[in-house]
Amino acid sequence: MTLNVEANPYAPQVARLSRVIDETPTIKTFCFDLDNPLAFRAGQFVQLGVPGLGEGPFTPSSSPLDPGHLEVTVLRTGEVTERLHRMQAGDACLLRGPYGKGFPVEKLEGKDVLVVGGGVGLAPLRALIYQLLSMTDRLGRVVIKNGARETAELLFRRQYDEWAAHKNVSLELTIDRPEAGWTGSVGVVTTILENVPGEIDIQNCYAFTCGPEIMLKFVTQKLLEKGLKAEQIYLSMNRRMSCGIGKCGRCNIGPYYLCKDGPDICYAKIKDYPNVFP
Amino acid sequence: MPSTYVASEEGLARLLEAVQADEVYAAVRRERGPEYCNLRADTEADAEPALREPRPSASPKAFLQPATERVAVYSTSGVDAERSCPACGRRALVGLRACDLKAIEYLDKVFRGGDVADPFYEARRTSELLISVDCVAVHENCFCTAVGGRPFAESGFDLNITPLEEGYLVEVGSERGQEVVERAGDAVREATEEDLRRRDAAREASLEQLRRQTGDWRVSDRIQEALLAKDEAAAWGDEAAKCVECAACTFICPTCHCFYLYDQAGGEEEFERVRTWDSCILGDYHRMAGPAGAKPSPRPGLRTRFANRMLHKYAFSPTQYGLLGCTGCGRCIEACYGQIDIRDVLRGFEE
Repeated sequence: MTLNVEANPYAPQVARLSRVIDETPTIKTFCFDLDNPLAFRAGQFVQLGVPGLGEGPFTPSSSPLDPGHLEVTVLRTGEVTERLHRMQAGDACLLRGPYGKGFPVEKLEGKDVLVVGGGVGLAPLRALIYQLLSMTDRLGRVVIKNGARETAELLFRRQYDEWAAHKNVSLELTIDRPEAGWTGSVGVVTTILENVPGEIDIQNCYAFTCGPEIMLKFVTQKLLEKGLKAEQIYLSMNRRMSCGIGKCGRCNIGPYYLCKDGPDICYAKIKDYPNVFP
Repeated sequence: MPSTYVASEEGLARLLEAVQADEVYAAVRRERGPEYCNLRADTEADAEPALREPRPSASPKAFLQPATERVAVYSTSGVDAERSCPACGRRALVGLRACDLKAIEYLDKVFRGGDVADPFYEARRTSELLISVDCVAVHENCFCTAVGGRPFAESGFDLNITPLEEGYLVEVGSERGQEVVERAGDAVREATEEDLRRRDAAREASLEQLRRQTGDWRVSDRIQEALLAKDEAAAWGDEAAKCVECAACTFICPTCHCFYLYDQAGGEEEFERVRTWDSCILGDYHRMAGPAGAKPSPRPGLRTRFANRMLHKYAFSPTQYGLLGCTGCGRCIEACYGQIDIRDVLRGFEE
């Protein structure tokens, strides 16, 4: 399979699903074993589609270090995702990409890294986490914070222990409402950001966050309050990116098109333009 | 120095006949005013070029980026490469106004620039001959001089025509333009100093017409700052309240280029991907998947969408492309059902 971006950026490639993983009651992961690896940087996105129906932008959740195996983790929330969720191994999907800049991994040498996910927002961040776990000897501390509505919606739960077992890596969870048997934090994800100044070096860190836009808003406010600068905060703004190459117009924040200048974009770059947050 | 020629009415007709193209799109006379249309379509055999009228009411954008276009054909076994490739013959656009050339310069930055060029737009533009014409009549909504333009073109064309009181002055802007002149043989003669003086007088007359309707008004260099500095809610409320969300302004605009990609059945076991013009004024334009409670649109209110359109034209485009996204053609003014006059909106911000 070749992704025909050079010749026609709008033409999708047909890719057969190799496996579908049930993650939570509302989230599934779609796996592809590609003949020609789709090399992507953590944070870059692909357009994943259903033949005859349409496509949507999704950031792969798999490791950028293993480009032959692509995983895309999808919340069932609209027409295309509803149809994707009914698909099985062997079914034909559409793929094109990768698009966008990706996370600025090259800036992270010697820094502490804070990763804040909410709901399916942990999916794009998992690609970053894989990358970070492969380079812990060149990083300071890696602090992962993740929130979900309820324990059943905690994404990639099977992997948490393994992540936290890495040197200098910690992970903290929260759920929105109390549940029997849950001993972790309760409340929205900002409640577990209170201790951030004790966990990382605020002056020497970068923060990456992905989740609903309303969550990004409150996480950004909380991090600024805790002393991070706008330059240290990267938001994964996954808006309605369509063409992927900065031409169709719909994903702008100010003069930036998230599809080509993002979708992970530094808060300092966009903060003075309208409509950053809901 | 580019070369200049003079042609009579009959000579100009012969010059235009010397254009070798499979598709010719030209500004032609119509009862309801000048319009761009495909001259090689059978129904247009008698159409006369409209070179002395004000700019046509619709821009030539549709010939550069069609309202609807198939961009890929595929089945579940793969893409049909041949039918997913752009194909077009040699093309010529005739009777473009200086503002239309400016719009093409802008669209070129969008579609041919960036990391990835749009192959469909590129294919159309590669072989395209551009023949522009000076505005000797100015539409009442024209304000090109306020946004850095002039009612005549000095670059960006293969041939430019200045209608004179008698006959036409033709300026060559490229080798391809020169070839057309050479094929036309004795249809044209070389221009004299006196002919050039007549051209200058014609141009001064159209500038004077514009001066009468727009005065010395110029959109200032500070417009970018002024637009971004205003408090959104207060600044756009009155103008946005007049908007009826029909999107006519974006479809008529020569630089608006937003599109939407969608997939549909294209036949037995076959699908096609189509793109169609879209508009940032429409409510669903930015909407993402998800329940309403998840706030799936970053610009749910008309006021924010109206502001985004204006900001894109005058504040973001200079950063993105080094050009304003407005050519001053004024077409959106007569297209607007809400009687929004973009000149008033701009002046309001400059006060």
